[in-house]
Amino acid sequence: MTLDRSVSRRRLLQLVGGATVTATVAGSLSACGGDGGSSSSGGTLKVIGVGDQEAGLRKVLDAYKASHSGFDFNLSFAPADQVQTALRTQLGGGNAPDVHVVYPGNGSAMSMAQLGKAGLLTDLSSQSWTQKVPAGFKGAFQHDGKTYIFSPGSSMLGAIYNKKAFATAGVEPPTTWSELLAVCDKLKKKGIVPIAVGAQTPWITQLIPYALVPGTVYAKTPDFDDKMSAGQASFADSGWADAMDKYLELQKKGFFNDNPNGTTYEQATSMVGTGKAAMAVQVSAVLSAFRAAAPSPDDLSMFPFPATDVAADNWIPAGVVVGIAVSAKSKQADQAKSFLDYCGQQENLNTWAEAVSCVPLYGDAKVDPALTSFLPNLKANKAVPFMDQRWPNAEVQPTHFAVVQQLLGGKTTVQDALKKMDEAYRKGA
Amino acid sequence: MTASVAAARPEVARRTRRRGGIVPPWWFAVPAILVYALVVLYPSIAGAGSAFTDWSGIGEAKSFVGADNFKQLLRDDQALGALRNTLLLTVAIVVVQNALGLLLALGVHTGIKSRLMLRLVFFAPVVVSPVMVSFLWKFVYNPAPDAGLNAALGAVGLGSLRQDWLGNPSIALWSVAFTVIWQCAGYSMVIFLAGLEGVPAELHESAMVDGAGTVARFRHITWPLLAPAVTINVMLSTVGGLTLFTQIIAMTNGGPGYATDTLSTVLYKQAFVFGKFGYSTAVALVLAVFVAAVSFLQIGYLRSRETTA
Repeated sequence: MTLDRSVSRRRLLQLVGGATVTATVAGSLSACGGDGGSSSSGGTLKVIGVGDQEAGLRKVLDAYKASHSGFDFNLSFAPADQVQTALRTQLGGGNAPDVHVVYPGNGSAMSMAQLGKAGLLTDLSSQSWTQKVPAGFKGAFQHDGKTYIFSPGSSMLGAIYNKKAFATAGVEPPTTWSELLAVCDKLKKKGIVPIAVGAQTPWITQLIPYALVPGTVYAKTPDFDDKMSAGQASFADSGWADAMDKYLELQKKGFFNDNPNGTTYEQATSMVGTGKAAMAVQVSAVLSAFRAAAPSPDDLSMFPFPATDVAADNWIPAGVVVGIAVSAKSKQADQAKSFLDYCGQQENLNTWAEAVSCVPLYGDAKVDPALTSFLPNLKANKAVPFMDQRWPNAEVQPTHFAVVQQLLGGKTTVQDALKKMDEAYRKGA
Repeated sequence: MTASVAAARPEVARRTRRRGGIVPPWWFAVPAILVYALVVLYPSIAGAGSAFTDWSGIGEAKSFVGADNFKQLLRDDQALGALRNTLLLTVAIVVVQNALGLLLALGVHTGIKSRLMLRLVFFAPVVVSPVMVSFLWKFVYNPAPDAGLNAALGAVGLGSLRQDWLGNPSIALWSVAFTVIWQCAGYSMVIFLAGLEGVPAELHESAMVDGAGTVARFRHITWPLLAPAVTINVMLSTVGGLTLFTQIIAMTNGGPGYATDTLSTVLYKQAFVFGKFGYSTAVALVLAVFVAAVSFLQIGYLRSRETTA
């Protein structure tokens, strides 16, 4: 124990000395009534989530608190961009919160596989809900056969669109690439920006490739990820090139707002909410943010973003949404694990999934009506996880963000951009 | 003269200084030295060791990789691009910020009544947090034609100059540089003002009697006597430019693409985004040595200029 502590302190000092000092996000919440903290079995659980999780995580925590006397929690949130800095610093220093946000699969510095590998997460495999994780999703939840993360389900990625804007231009959601171009053309002629892109916010840059690649890559090569890791495929010589060409084609035809690189996620959200723009390629988890930006939430719905003219090839991206895990060093691991077990119960899972507009991990609860057009693809097994969840290191995704910005800024070619991603991929784990 | 006397009779000199209370006992500084050693020196030295490992920043796994991280740095296109950006930014900041600071200082070093108010106005941006300034300027740089700077350009008939200030990879670096200059010019101004206060009025008066004009007096009296202020300003803005971080992260996050990445943002991203703490520390070490070397060279040159001036 003593040894552990001294190591931790040294780590923390190294972190502080070797790089920029970062802000920590832990806030202090005054104990709010009740007998919180006084019971030996209870105590205040420190929880740090990411903004997108708030609607669901808070609901489930509140429900758990109501049914467990002596339990209290201290919940704070960090924006997605800062999670890596703030939480990694705490993890490095050995003072991570009891429960914290973790990204499913591999491919980011805060992903389940990277943190699991480093021995920073508690094994949840003994919890009953882990048995119900669908086979196709196991890679997102498990590393070396151990389950390290709880996530409420999968988010759809497609076009969030403004029904009023579509009605103004007299168009319907398209089902093929050509139809999409025609719809964009009509919208543009009506003076409505067809697709809002806020590429100044780095994570937005990846969404259009993620929407197109299931059709241009995975429909033809379902084992593309395996081929990539075996070194038998590359981004540059695959349907990724087609997807990137299509991304640029949309820009060249003037279907994006002016200056996507100078536009933020928030600005793009507001453009679609108010009908200035007709759609944005997005994950369903942010539907609530778009609805909040619209005069009436019913104005917004979603449809799968078509990538090809062969309807059967239009697969969809459906990724496990960002989840939570228990820190391996938590002093209240039992409490924390009991909370995650509670999250895994069908009813609580449904509550969380509904709040963040995702399809629950298991069971057949009702889903957000905006997602109904995605369900046939899910049933037909024409869905692929978000691409980064199988990437081998934390460098491919940021490289993807950067090369897309370069492409949109006219500073590189599709081939050079994909070669850069290949280089980052080959750096391995 | 004083120095040679003190050297010849060190005992007397020491006693005199002590009696006069000029040099307090060295051990007064011990608490400060201890705190400094604990929170700055020890972590810095301990952290530097990570530069020779492949540590990810979390977990126990760490192995010694020798100079691999430094070799990798030489082949890293992103880091070399960032070095180029860092140098461009530094040159722009050092030249423009100090020129502007000097002009402002000369402007407010007059007898006019509002000079104190003007000094305050020009100094105001310095005291605002760089993050706040960055967000403020993000609004100014809004790419929409009817917002911020673009709207102002349109209003004065310069609509053709409208730009995507932060989104265009060819312009973004200069947009950030301008923000930094805008914020820090007041700082340079204050240092130049202090220098100007030290220029004896008699010199100007006698030069005027001799018939020297404004330009001649500036060139032959003010400028040489401002040399110490120039040294401080150039040093500070060089170090500031070479280590520029906050404004970049807050305004562009190094983008679009890699267009505004600096060495500081690269080392930050390597540590916290890519999970390569060892490599990041190597970049940090190289940056620290580079900044120190540039500073020493500069101070050597500028100080020699001060003595000959």
